[in-house]
Amino acid sequence: MTDPTHEPTTEPTTDTRAELEDVVAAVATTPVAPGARGRRLGFSLSGLRRIFGGMSAIGAKELRGRMRGRRAFVILTIYLVLLGGFAWMIELLMERSYSAGFGSSAAYASASIGQGIFAALMFLETLQVVFLAPAATAGAISLEREKQTLEMLITTPISSVAIVVGKLLSALTYVFLLILASVPLTAVVFVYGGVAPDDVLRGYAVLVVTAIGLGSFGLFCSSLVRRTQAATAISIFGVLAISVGTAFLLIFWTGIANTGDGQGMGPIRGRSPEVIAYLNPFIAQADVMCGTETSTGGWCSLVNALVPSQNGVIFTNDPTVQPAVPVPAGPGVGVGGGSGGVLTVGGALVPVAGPITVTGTISSDVNVVDSVRGIKRGFVNGAGFDTTGAGVAVGPDAPFGVVRDTLWPKMVVTWIILSAIFLLLSIQLVSPTRRWRPGRQRQAKTETPT
Amino acid sequence: MTVAVRTQGIVKRYGSTVAVAGVDLTVEAGEIFGLVGPNGAGKSTTLRILATLLRPTAGEAEVAGFSVTRNPDQVRRVIGFMPDVFGVYDDMKVWEYLDFFARCYGIPATARRRIIGDLLELVDLAHKRDSYVQTLSRGMQQRLCLAHSLVHDPQILLLDEPASGLDPRARVELRELLRELRSLGKTILISSHILPELEELCTSVAIVDRGQVLAQGRVADIERRLRFGAVLRVRLLADAGGLEAARERFEADADVASATILDDGTIELGFRGDDAASARLLAETVRAGLPVVSFARAASDLEELFLQVTAPERAPQDAA
Repeated sequence: MTDPTHEPTTEPTTDTRAELEDVVAAVATTPVAPGARGRRLGFSLSGLRRIFGGMSAIGAKELRGRMRGRRAFVILTIYLVLLGGFAWMIELLMERSYSAGFGSSAAYASASIGQGIFAALMFLETLQVVFLAPAATAGAISLEREKQTLEMLITTPISSVAIVVGKLLSALTYVFLLILASVPLTAVVFVYGGVAPDDVLRGYAVLVVTAIGLGSFGLFCSSLVRRTQAATAISIFGVLAISVGTAFLLIFWTGIANTGDGQGMGPIRGRSPEVIAYLNPFIAQADVMCGTETSTGGWCSLVNALVPSQNGVIFTNDPTVQPAVPVPAGPGVGVGGGSGGVLTVGGALVPVAGPITVTGTISSDVNVVDSVRGIKRGFVNGAGFDTTGAGVAVGPDAPFGVVRDTLWPKMVVTWIILSAIFLLLSIQLVSPTRRWRPGRQRQAKTETPT
Repeated sequence: MTVAVRTQGIVKRYGSTVAVAGVDLTVEAGEIFGLVGPNGAGKSTTLRILATLLRPTAGEAEVAGFSVTRNPDQVRRVIGFMPDVFGVYDDMKVWEYLDFFARCYGIPATARRRIIGDLLELVDLAHKRDSYVQTLSRGMQQRLCLAHSLVHDPQILLLDEPASGLDPRARVELRELLRELRSLGKTILISSHILPELEELCTSVAIVDRGQVLAQGRVADIERRLRFGAVLRVRLLADAGGLEAARERFEADADVASATILDDGTIELGFRGDDAASARLLAETVRAGLPVVSFARAASDLEELFLQVTAPERAPQDAA
């Protein structure tokens, strides 16, 4: 292909023409990929650079539109004022309830107030993220389709990955800005105590992952359906399904499973499937709240009511069905008992007199039955474990054992995987030449060939 | 001359509807190539296949030597595409719009500034640099859209109905712009269902109907090939009786297929012969003493040609 600009057929008569030839030179010097195709590394590097370039193009364009004028910042201010007012109201409420009753120490009351504010703020922010994130992304692709700008975008060398990821990040920027702006407000809980900094980090981890996950879901809806309205409706429906729907399913399951002498009905028996709870960011937040509690308190029992813990029951109706726990010999964890007690190994109760020493690696949770003080939860994960003056029951299951961080990390992992799936599907749907689309026939009718 | 665009038997099927049924096109570099056809003929589909927006169901298409199916990325770098219906982003200024597309092509920031300035000069929108895109008139938006397709200085421009919805003045401006682009060495592939605008502009045309190319080539070549002959219009200084006698005389000529007297007294001849034959006919007419006022070939236009080529086959399209 000869470049016709290098053999000017007519004299350049206007300035624009000469300038355009400058443009030719400028474009010729820009890095373009084709030569690098052969070298694997060079290709992937230039590919990456291309993707980042495309993402920054999309990001700059989207943010210019979104952040123009005062609107974005006015909304942010109103949001913070409302959130602050809400936190203050919760504080007043908690203060009243603790000063009226209990009569326990002021430190305890303060910690409780801190936990209350923390929980209220986290739930409100989760609620906000759960609706804002998909609403922000539900128009990302479908708006481009409706405005008929997507085709112009696709005919540029920008990659589908850059379009999808750039759209997601720029749409979520505002949501992240709201989350970030609430951090100083949430830090108020440290004044009251009862919440550790790592609890706050956990809460925010759940928020950020929820934003990414539901944002990806909204984007997927947007690339799947042609109309923004439909995409928004579907994503709001999805939000309701994962928040209200999953919670209801879990309540339903638990309720039905306990009927018929505890045998359940039909296929519904035993513990509710925990996977359902992984989808629900509110349950994950409740699990984070549970982590702030010193004893099995309100949040923990709520979580446990919905998702009976894996570390379930030691005293099942039939102890013989309990799976055996391997307690291999060898140096490792020592469980020392004091005066005596029982040790269950493989479902059988082993009376023990004197200190118990279990050596080896105990793979599952260890729960200690204290013969005197009742039940105490414990958690061994390759670490030393010692109780004195107590009987020890070692088994796969323990009563009421709600252990910290059981649920929310799984929720985080689940949503990260789901986001990846949603984004990959969106990339496929945006890409014109390797398009996979359900119902190609239907598409044929909507797209009139001209 | 090198070939800029070549398609070989491209077919595009949507379910049972066939939008393009085996189109073969060859566009040489530096041409302004017109795709002419009625609405629904498959012009847009063909252009969209070339722009890598659609995958052909069958056939091969090459743009600047790159296959649109195997090397879409390379194709995208050498083409500038202007769709028939295009949108503009809200909340975006004119320079930001061009900046966005320039970024999409990976043009560095320093070059972008200059390119945007130059392009706005070229399409005569420099004074609108900081206006919001949605406030521009239709013609300005059209020019802006054309500018967007030029940010990476493509060799080949694919313009789908660029003049639709423009007032006559904007149309003329667009035509001037396209001529200027051609003089810069660009190959322009342009589609339209409005013929006059292409006739003045194009070096070659392809007439497309129902997904097939009915005729392709230089405008003059197509005319020669498709017409059974030219139309001659003869004006005589004669009364009705004289006209009728002259008509009969013309009809007797071996090269004249038909002779009719029009309402304004002009005699229209369907003429089979070439230029030499028409010279001979004129000489004979004058020698016969007929008072010839004018003797000319009717101005041939694409529209007439187009109707001639597409009309006989037009039947209600049945997708089933």
